[in-house]
Amino acid sequence: MNKTRTTLTAYAMLLPALVLLGVFTLYPVLYNVVLSFSKYTALELGAGKGPSWVGLENYQKVFSDPLYQTGIVNSLKYLVVVPILQIFSLLVAVLVNRSLPAIAFFRAGYYIPVITSISLAAVMWEWVYAKDGMINAALQGLGVLSKTSAFGWLINENTALWAIMFVTFWQGFGYYMVLYLAGLQSIPTELDEAARLDGATKTQVFWKITVPLMKPTLMICSLLSTLAALRVLQEIMVFTGGGPVNSTYTALFYVYSKAFKEFDYGQGAAAGMGVALIGFLLSYVNYRLTRDQQVTG
Amino acid sequence: MKKSVKKVALVSLALISTGLTSSAFAQQKTQIEFWTWYLSPKFDNFIKGVIADFEKQNPNITVKWLDKQDTIERDFQATIALGQAPDVVNLWNDSTAAAVQNNLLVPITDLTPLSTLNRLYYSNVLNIFKHDSKFYGYPWYGYVDQGVMMYNSELLQKAGVSISRIRTLDDLLNASKTIKDKTGAYGWLPPVSDPNGASFLAYFYLDGLPITNASGQAVFNSPTHAALLQKYVDLMKGDYIPQDLLRKEAFQVTNELYSQGKVAFMVGGPQSLNRVRDSNKDIYSKTKITSAPLGKAKVQTGGAFSLVIPRASKHQKEAALFALFMTNNVNQVKFANVVPIVPTTKAAKNDPSFKTTSQDPIEIATARVAGTGGLINPGFASPKNTDVVYKNFNDNIQAAFLGRKTAQQALNDAVTFWNANAK
Amino acid sequence: MIAKTRAPERTRPAPRVRALSVLGKVGTYALLTVILVFAVFPFLWTLAISLTDKTVSNGVSIYDFPASLFPRHLTLNNFTDVYKTFSLGKYVWNSVVISTLTVIGTLFVASLAAYPLARIRFPGRAIILGIILSTLVLPSETSFIVNVLTLRNLGILGTYAGVVLPVLATAFGIFVMRSAYLAIPETLLEAARLDGATELQIWWRIMLPLSVPTLTALAIFTLVGSWNDYFWPSLALITNEDLQPLAVAVLKLRGQFNYDPFNIAAGAMIMMLPVLVVFLAAQKFFMRGLDGAVKG
Repeated sequence: MNKTRTTLTAYAMLLPALVLLGVFTLYPVLYNVVLSFSKYTALELGAGKGPSWVGLENYQKVFSDPLYQTGIVNSLKYLVVVPILQIFSLLVAVLVNRSLPAIAFFRAGYYIPVITSISLAAVMWEWVYAKDGMINAALQGLGVLSKTSAFGWLINENTALWAIMFVTFWQGFGYYMVLYLAGLQSIPTELDEAARLDGATKTQVFWKITVPLMKPTLMICSLLSTLAALRVLQEIMVFTGGGPVNSTYTALFYVYSKAFKEFDYGQGAAAGMGVALIGFLLSYVNYRLTRDQQVTG
Repeated sequence: MKKSVKKVALVSLALISTGLTSSAFAQQKTQIEFWTWYLSPKFDNFIKGVIADFEKQNPNITVKWLDKQDTIERDFQATIALGQAPDVVNLWNDSTAAAVQNNLLVPITDLTPLSTLNRLYYSNVLNIFKHDSKFYGYPWYGYVDQGVMMYNSELLQKAGVSISRIRTLDDLLNASKTIKDKTGAYGWLPPVSDPNGASFLAYFYLDGLPITNASGQAVFNSPTHAALLQKYVDLMKGDYIPQDLLRKEAFQVTNELYSQGKVAFMVGGPQSLNRVRDSNKDIYSKTKITSAPLGKAKVQTGGAFSLVIPRASKHQKEAALFALFMTNNVNQVKFANVVPIVPTTKAAKNDPSFKTTSQDPIEIATARVAGTGGLINPGFASPKNTDVVYKNFNDNIQAAFLGRKTAQQALNDAVTFWNANAK
Repeated sequence: MIAKTRAPERTRPAPRVRALSVLGKVGTYALLTVILVFAVFPFLWTLAISLTDKTVSNGVSIYDFPASLFPRHLTLNNFTDVYKTFSLGKYVWNSVVISTLTVIGTLFVASLAAYPLARIRFPGRAIILGIILSTLVLPSETSFIVNVLTLRNLGILGTYAGVVLPVLATAFGIFVMRSAYLAIPETLLEAARLDGATELQIWWRIMLPLSVPTLTALAIFTLVGSWNDYFWPSLALITNEDLQPLAVAVLKLRGQFNYDPFNIAAGAMIMMLPVLVVFLAAQKFFMRGLDGAVKG
């Protein structure tokens, strides 16, 4: 009797979380699979009709759409940001992992981009990247760029995607720095000191001791970062809307456009399944890589 | 013990269901939702005034007003699809066509007799919103693209450009080059790839080059067409027109830069002057008005905004009442006196408020354009599949401007896509 | 400067080495400063623009370097101007409501659900733990499509509830609370149970008070995330602009007919400053990275 009551209490306490997770997290993932095999557009929705089964039609349409292929390519290009971001964040974490005066001030400063909303980042960086903006002014000051060859970084199709990636880098490094810092601080200091007494240089200590011990953290961070890069969408929405000439049209922006500009939920879901598959593959690759990686010193 | 279990379950269910039950208090009044495009906050007073007048006349209707911006087409489709359609929406030529193709709109003749429409509005404007012999939009305010030319006389003086020499679009482009070389300011910023519509098509039309043939096939890829596009591409290459035009609406960039003295000409509706007056008195005082230069074909292009009523609106009768009220002569004339738009009501032409002897740029411009509603002509009809075809057209135009395709190649690709999809 | 590491006893270093270490310090600080400038320059520039008096001369340009970084005439007019013209008050209020509801809801759901998962043995616990964990790896990139449809079917699309409900229950929040509960000594619970306290009473009287630091950390994280969130609110309120938060509205300033960078900058600062204040006041929570969150 008492046990039953305890069990009931447990489930009652879990109820809100389970209902919400079920409705808004688990169900969408499953229903998305159903949708991807269905015809479901604004017409059906407006007429109050449900989705109807069409087999692989959505997949055929989406995967043969050159725009979707462009989107996949751009999303994969976006992955370039991952190793650069992770290495830089780890180095910054090593740099701020000491008890110097005012170090807390620097750490906090590095975190400010992380707590900046993407919409504000869009406002600020748009000016930085403008044709007369800060970057070009600086480059002209250094004599790297002439006044006549200046261009807007977000308007030029060769630079737009890289410019947005750079904002991702700017927003991300403080976040990963904190995660790496937590990892570094769990390394016993005796290890470093013993190695230093044995005559190892700082660089050697970093490669022989720090990196191997940081591997679990590295793996998690790289995975988080990879999936975030693959799913890039908000940045595209606030900066370029996929332009110029689709040079920043990413896979998930395609999903969004299909679902909320053309109102074809079936095709949107199918396009999303493609991204999910790539995400799964990348997770697996990441796992294998970090597991088999031989540290060379 | 048991009670506490119940309590938790109840509390959590109550929390989850908050908001699930929308408060259904009985409403005596019908509320209609009205959307405008880019009119707030500039014209809040005017729009709110008209709404207040309407509500006074129709005490059982309230109007909820929302101003939409770049997302209006997305939001329009979304709210209809998701069952929360607005009742009266302010669209323009191409977006009205797209909405008709998607079967979203009610023919307004279902709600207002054709004879009434014909009595009130210019037939050339009514016809802009005519598709398959049905009318879909109440004509609201109009504009003529080449309405007037406003210019910063000081910049022209500095560059040694005389305004009387600028008669054609080519003159204007050449003057722009001179001004840029001599002063560093841009001359005229032509819309080349505005996000809504297909702005570059207008240059073909203005020079008398065909866009489609008699059977509706796109034909704008002759060498002459390509040379015209190339002319503009070269201007951007030489930074005589800014690259920003590929990303933002030309009128926005113009507004921004004219007030800073970085642009010499504004061509079009004089509504832009209000902003100049508010943000830079000095430049406003140096602004002069003249008639706009035309292309080789000596034609004007222009357009009008529509008020449309979605099929999904639950209050079509009230919506039609309001749309008629908003677009009637009294309110269009009022609007034209707030900002120099072109009224689309026939009676506006003889309104005494448009006679002026003043020297103020805005006053002059208002008087000049007020009676030109009969000249409004978009030049060409929107193709079928408007959104898709125009996106592809703009992508190709951008590719040409960015040097990724030759002008000829870009137009060939656009024509091919157009003829394959505009069915 | 005393290093806090327990260095073994050494003889005093030779002067040359000390000079080197001074140089090393200078170098380190130089490097730290360069990275700091990179992190905060967009923010500082926007702040400078927002405080610039645009009326002093004819047409101040934000691209006038270096003058635009150091405005000579400071004013708060851009703030009052943008606040009034665009009735930002409405959007600030929406942000406050959405963030408050999100924080309260998240704390309630997570702290309640974490207790049985941490401290009650009941049939099905392992399965539920597994399900909650699995949500972390599910491909949820397109869930927003189905969620909008769900909200529509529930009739709460375009309401505050519609924005808030889908984001309340997260595996992250539940596991953070669970690890806080696991750190509380068992003896306390035993004693309470002997006294005849129910599980709910234990949760309310012992668990919650003892995990206040974690609750605070979770609240602050949720608050900042919710205040800044752009994508989901913009979608969930696609049919009802009136309830949009500042994060969505601030971008609309960019597209205005009367585009004014000074007003946009002021709008951006109105949104940024509260977050900054919260962050500076509660830095330590952010810098610790929510203990246990990563370890899961």
